[in-house]
Amino acid sequence: MKFNFVGAVVVAAVAVLVVAYLSLFTVYQTKQALVVRLGDPIRIITEPGLHVKVPFIDTVIPIDNRILDLENAAQEVFASDQRRLVIDAFARYRITDALRFYQTVSNIEGANSRLSSLLNAALRRVLGEATLIHVVRDERAVLMGRVRDQLDREARAFGIEVVDVRIRRADLPEQNSQAVYQRMQTERQRQAASIRGEGSQKSQEIRAKADRDVTVLVAEAQSRAEQIRGEGDAERNRIFAEAYTKDPDFFAFYRSMQAYEAGLRANDTRLVLRPDSDFFKYFGNPAGRETPKEAPKAAAQ
Amino acid sequence: MPWSNQGGGPWGSGPKGPWGSGSSPSGSSPPDLEDLLRRGQDKLRNVLPGGSFSGTGVLLITLIAIALWLSSGIFQVAPDERGLVMRFGKFNRIADPGLSYHLPYPVESVEIPKVTRVTAISIGVRLVEDSRRGTQTRDVPEESLMLTGDENIVDVDFTVFWLVAAGTSGVTDFRFNMQNPEGTVKAVAESAMREVIGRSELEPVLTGGRQRIETEVHDLVQKTLDQYKSGITVSQVQMLKVEAPAQVIDAFRDVQAAQADQERVQNEARTYAGRVVPEARGRAAQLLQSAEAYREQTVAEATGQTARFNKIYDEYKKAPDVTRQRLYLETMERLFGGTDKIILDSAGQGSGGVVPYLPLPELRSRPPAQPSQTTTGGNR
Repeated sequence: MKFNFVGAVVVAAVAVLVVAYLSLFTVYQTKQALVVRLGDPIRIITEPGLHVKVPFIDTVIPIDNRILDLENAAQEVFASDQRRLVIDAFARYRITDALRFYQTVSNIEGANSRLSSLLNAALRRVLGEATLIHVVRDERAVLMGRVRDQLDREARAFGIEVVDVRIRRADLPEQNSQAVYQRMQTERQRQAASIRGEGSQKSQEIRAKADRDVTVLVAEAQSRAEQIRGEGDAERNRIFAEAYTKDPDFFAFYRSMQAYEAGLRANDTRLVLRPDSDFFKYFGNPAGRETPKEAPKAAAQ
Repeated sequence: MPWSNQGGGPWGSGPKGPWGSGSSPSGSSPPDLEDLLRRGQDKLRNVLPGGSFSGTGVLLITLIAIALWLSSGIFQVAPDERGLVMRFGKFNRIADPGLSYHLPYPVESVEIPKVTRVTAISIGVRLVEDSRRGTQTRDVPEESLMLTGDENIVDVDFTVFWLVAAGTSGVTDFRFNMQNPEGTVKAVAESAMREVIGRSELEPVLTGGRQRIETEVHDLVQKTLDQYKSGITVSQVQMLKVEAPAQVIDAFRDVQAAQADQERVQNEARTYAGRVVPEARGRAAQLLQSAEAYREQTVAEATGQTARFNKIYDEYKKAPDVTRQRLYLETMERLFGGTDKIILDSAGQGSGGVVPYLPLPELRSRPPAQPSQTTTGGNR
């Protein structure tokens, strides 16, 4: 009896657990769930927690509720000015309609592949209407928003809301990059050459200015020096004139004497004299001779 | 209990069994437990005389099991962690650091993520764990080369530091709202950096604009991540390397070299100017000084000569004829004393018919030729 009672309790408990196990299910915080009865979706559960289903005939398909990644491979896009760009974009999306999502793409892999081709198409469309410089510089955010809107509209069909589309990279293709490098290089070379030229120009200017200063300084000094010398000469003339005008006759005599002495120096002068000059007045006649004065004739060489 | 039914099983095989080969003094533990249980049952039978042995035993075991089950909900949260208590998979509450309790499985469970750690993501250069290349620091040009607004290419490496946002909503957003928060931070940061660089021109990026770019990228990344409700706070965006691409870096360095050259040649020129101009000043001073000297010398000479003349003149005035004669004779004396002389008598000339022969070329050739100096002795 006792054994049977305990046994019954145990059996009942096990039965309850089994039924509970089969009819209860949990939805995790990051999920939503689709309850499918014999292939027919009957319920969408968006609230996480404990939920009930009919055992065996209901199946539960959990579907992610988070913001999901869509990484797109880089692809070449023609901008409206016929220039190519390598665009690497990514999208972030969320499944808003689990039923439609399940019916159209069934799982995340399917959604990613569909979204990826839609994203590529949208990128081509939107960026194809913009010039390269708009994509790179001026309207990047606007264009990304436009791609997002277009993709979002199309993704609604899959029960997907596109949260954001961002252009991760917008680069030039390799061969165009090479051209850019060459341009950058030549530009720098030009810049370097012009800087060097400027330097040598400034250097020349500084040197020329210095040379000019030198010339001017010396010339001014020379001019001043000549002036000073002139003053000296003038002063000298004044002094001489002042002294010599006292007796011009004596000055002439005295100065002549000095001039003879200085001009007819020994060793380079040979004199041919006649003995009847004044110097020889007493030469032949101690009493003196009455001959008119004659200056000695000098043959200076 | 399956193991209790097997008397000759591995548990009961004594010292040769796998568990019994140790040196435990009281033999292997499972038989001990069995023994203990049996003894407990005996005791229970004694305590509750006439009671149902099986019923109470099962009850006791059940109670113990329930107690163990309930106690499995105790958990500990370290200071850098937060506990997220999930009730049937739904987030229920947050547990701060310390000892906490949640209802046992399957009602509640806990997740304990680390939330205070700052994570760094390097973009453009990083440690690559790649089975083909091994783990190493590697430059990633496809990440670091980007177009500037003036269609140049610049090489930028940078690091983003991020952490889980403070507060309950930060932790739950981070944990439950995004499939791939780390990857999203990286992708958004890359995109934001390229957007900001794309708006700038090359020169400011390379030179002064670092701070501004870091701030703009930080703000843009944070804004985007907030829009995703990612529960992530970007603490810092740090630019590691900003330079021209490797292909053209030499040309860029040459520009810097040119700038240095420019300064160098200018300095050389300044050195030249600094040397030459003072030298010229010196020369000018010298010229002036020598002119001054000339003036003073000239004046002094003139003064001296006139003073001498005046002195002689004073004497001359006292006896003009005698002095004049004396001066004449003295001068002639000095003059003739030093010169070669030939005296021709004028008496023979004209009437005698003897023409004196003077070999002038010979006379001229004898002394070394010297230019005749006719300076009057007053000019310097």
